[in-house]
Amino acid sequence: MAEMEAKGGGGHKKGPGVKKSKKLSTRVDLTPMVDLGFLLITFFIFTTTMSQPTAMNLAMPKDTDKPDELNKVKESGALTLMMGKGDVVYYYFGNDPTKLQTTGYKDVRKIILDKKKNTPVDDFFITIKPNRDATYKNAVDILDEMAINDIKRYAMIDPTEDEYKLIQLTEQAGGIK
Amino acid sequence: MGRAKIKRGSTNIDMTAMCDVAFLLLSYFILIAEFKPAEAIEVNPPSSVASKAAPQTDAFLVSISPEGQVFVQLSEEMKGDVIEEISTARNLNFSAEDKSLFKQSLFIGTPLSQLPQFVRIKPENLHSVKLTGIPIDSTNNELEAWINAALNVYKGKKINWLIKGDNNSKYLVFRDVINSFKKNEVFKYQLVTNAEDIPAESELARKPQKTEGTE
Repeated sequence: MAEMEAKGGGGHKKGPGVKKSKKLSTRVDLTPMVDLGFLLITFFIFTTTMSQPTAMNLAMPKDTDKPDELNKVKESGALTLMMGKGDVVYYYFGNDPTKLQTTGYKDVRKIILDKKKNTPVDDFFITIKPNRDATYKNAVDILDEMAINDIKRYAMIDPTEDEYKLIQLTEQAGGIK
Repeated sequence: MGRAKIKRGSTNIDMTAMCDVAFLLLSYFILIAEFKPAEAIEVNPPSSVASKAAPQTDAFLVSISPEGQVFVQLSEEMKGDVIEEISTARNLNFSAEDKSLFKQSLFIGTPLSQLPQFVRIKPENLHSVKLTGIPIDSTNNELEAWINAALNVYKGKKINWLIKGDNNSKYLVFRDVINSFKKNEVFKYQLVTNAEDIPAESELARKPQKTEGTE
């Protein structure tokens, strides 16, 4: 060591009788390690909260055979939404299913809100009729739409045979598979 | 050029302490994190704006697979009593071994008649076995029997009825499940969904935020 020191460190002044041996610093730069640590923490925090499934409340009415127990819906305030295959929504106002119109899940909010704005609160009623080709997602999307648009009164029932036929005809005409 | 040399303080900060804290927190979060409960079958639920977390205790979870099979997952604390109940209600005479294996099984995926064979399938082999699901057709509705058994076990106490359907499952199956509940006079359910942000500018966003989940 001493010889090497003498060769390499020629320009150094040596103290009287003291041999300075250069010590390597034991310090490691911990900055990247801290960075990594906090990155992992953030990752874990985000993933734990994201994977938490949520629950949406759904209450169904009791089936009744007595017609006088059924809710009467005013024609002026009725909106019926029907879900068909291929993520298509069919809707009509009032009681006449032949005035069927077609829309999609993105535009249905506007229709609901327009109707809501122009109808007295107590008259407004939405009937949701998922037909037999609809998927579960379709039903949940529409129920979610009720929550988003703050709709107080709505019901989910099956479409009538006539309505189903109308949807089928529209589907055939539109070429929806 | 006689510029005065200003002695600058070192910009190096001792990172050791910070590093300690970071990894302490990291290990804390890793240890505290709960593993996702074992999934019976691959079910991707749709998303909704509901923000209430799905309850995990006293839960009776009905899953609907994309192919329309119906599976039931019972909370741990429910399993033992429910299998006793359904065994006596249907005169099935499950052996003690059947019952203890049932308590370890993750979910119910077959008709009652095949249950003893089903509980003997090892969890790692479940994916390769073709499962029939619980029959819910009108002639043989066993889901109704399971619901009834759970109700009898939990007399008066509240059960969280959860329904978790796949995006692509048919609405008709969902309706059949609801009808099975209705026949047991159960009318309030919770649909398991993935969380989604409330769209800005919507009625719900404008509404003063009440605490959600009040029934």
